Amino acid sequence: MASQYIALPKGVSEKNFNAAIRDFRKVLGDTSVLTSAEQLAPYIKTMMPVPDGDHTPSAALLATTVEQIQKIVAICNQYKVPVWMISTGKNLGYGSAAPAERGQVVLDLKRMNRILEVDKDLAFALVEPGATYQQLYDYIKEHKLGLWLSMPAPSAIAGPVGNTLDRGVGYTPYGEHFLFACGMEVVLANGEVLRTGMGSMPNSNTWQVFKWGYGPYLDGIFTQSNYGIVTKFGFWLMPEPPAFKPFVIQYQHEEDIVEIVETIRPLRISGVIPNAVVIAHALYEAPVKAKRSDYVSGPGSIPDEAVYRIMKDHKLGIWNVYAALYGTQEQIDVNWKIVTQAFGESGKAKILTEQEAADDPAFAYRAKLMRGEMTLTEFSLYNWRGGGGSMWFAPVSQARGSETLKQMALTKQIFAKYGLDYSGEFIVGMRDMHHIVDVLYDKTDPEQTKAAYQCFDELLTEFSARGYGTYRVNTAFMDKVAETYGPVQRKVHKTLKKALDPNGIIAPGKSGIR
Amino acid sequence: MKKAKLVNCIFGCLVAIIVTISSAWSAQDEKNSPGFAWKDGAEIYTKICAYCHEAHVGPQIRNRELPAAYIRAIVRNGNRAMPAFRPSEIDDESLIKLADFISNKEAQH
Repeated sequence: MASQYIALPKGVSEKNFNAAIRDFRKVLGDTSVLTSAEQLAPYIKTMMPVPDGDHTPSAALLATTVEQIQKIVAICNQYKVPVWMISTGKNLGYGSAAPAERGQVVLDLKRMNRILEVDKDLAFALVEPGATYQQLYDYIKEHKLGLWLSMPAPSAIAGPVGNTLDRGVGYTPYGEHFLFACGMEVVLANGEVLRTGMGSMPNSNTWQVFKWGYGPYLDGIFTQSNYGIVTKFGFWLMPEPPAFKPFVIQYQHEEDIVEIVETIRPLRISGVIPNAVVIAHALYEAPVKAKRSDYVSGPGSIPDEAVYRIMKDHKLGIWNVYAALYGTQEQIDVNWKIVTQAFGESGKAKILTEQEAADDPAFAYRAKLMRGEMTLTEFSLYNWRGGGGSMWFAPVSQARGSETLKQMALTKQIFAKYGLDYSGEFIVGMRDMHHIVDVLYDKTDPEQTKAAYQCFDELLTEFSARGYGTYRVNTAFMDKVAETYGPVQRKVHKTLKKALDPNGIIAPGKSGIR
Repeated sequence: MKKAKLVNCIFGCLVAIIVTISSAWSAQDEKNSPGFAWKDGAEIYTKICAYCHEAHVGPQIRNRELPAAYIRAIVRNGNRAMPAFRPSEIDDESLIKLADFISNKEAQH
């Protein structure tokens, strides 16, 4: 007899799953437990080069309260049914809303979307997992709170909880999002509700203002992990500065990345440039202005000669450094002098401000990202190859020019082998760089899909062999990346998992942890 | 094996007890304010669709007389690079309003 489900959790019989679904319905009501193929369609689509069947859920649960989640984990423990949590479900290029393993039940927290508190004076927010950046943006405007958000490229349709828990980044001075997290509420696998840090103390009013609490700091173990279900999340917001000056610095040669990084590092560490600066390659910015098909046809990577034509036609550097100054006009004037002196020294840099570049579509969307305005323009990237294939390759580099050059050259070499284009950027942290490369391919083309998979696999192998670790990865490659960090870390992760979730019901496979 | 079963059994019992105890604590703390809800199709279009479809990222979809059923299907299933949108993001009722907004010429002016 054919199954009434489109997938089943690993090791769970249909009979037991029926019983679990019946109990989920008692908790949530019939309309919030989705099991049909039509209902689950939006949970299946990913941008990864693997069959959809590998990541097809068995059901989706639309919870709205902490109490419901406590009851859900009790049912999961009883029937050994695993859940995969999503908040806004827009982890595009990392797995979208689909679970890591076939048959897992998606616990969709999007409807838990309340903004519980935004404190104007102390500049923090407390939100539920489903709250989007757009909601927060509108709330802050409506209440005239004078606070800025930091968000990743999907901005409006994504949210701070999912992004920060996956340790994502943005582009303002608060761009390293987890640095600005402050207090979580977590439903544990045994149904207990933990409030981290100061939140553990009854009547405390310092949950969102002091991160550490007392004893071992726990928030970190609930990021990129499967040790609990985060149901409330606090984080700090940036007070709107009196003045803001975005700018772009263009360079013409790929090897200039060395000079760029060597110039930026001291400015970033000293705080002269406070935000998460982006050093974007021409091919990362080109899709906003140009069509690939106007410059190249047929298989293979785009030749350098075509890239130089794109740069010339669309006023791009091979490297485009987007940064901004924030503060009073006096502060900005002083820091601007320091920045222009530093970058002006070699004579290679072309510095543009809003005065010259306000109408440039690439500059315009970058300026928006650096001030926390909603924009999805970066996703022009997806038009470069078309066909909806994308994976983010995200190795970490030292903020040292020679290292960034090595990483870029190695990435480009591997991409060329598989006929893919290097669409890369470096996001400058305090001392590191997130080297972010979009592996773009046409998912409707089986050959390109196969090449993209092999390319990504080789990138991970070659980078880890040189000691370059990946900070975040899509659900198809989580085990492989976990392996690169060695057996001791994996063992510790597993030990924690066994202690906190002995039945393995919370997102098994997340970050390779089971 | 027996030991593992016993541990699981104890864990299961603990879950039941803890849920009973701590649900009262957390329920007290839950405020009854409702979550976010869409006002109308225009709001959804502006706050989701327009960021791509009015920004040269996705194709123009207004003024093309696209059938409402087609719009609803694409929203739920996605299409190439366009992500799928779940009923938890855009509920079925709001999706009808959104599809009407996009396909109805009068609503556009």
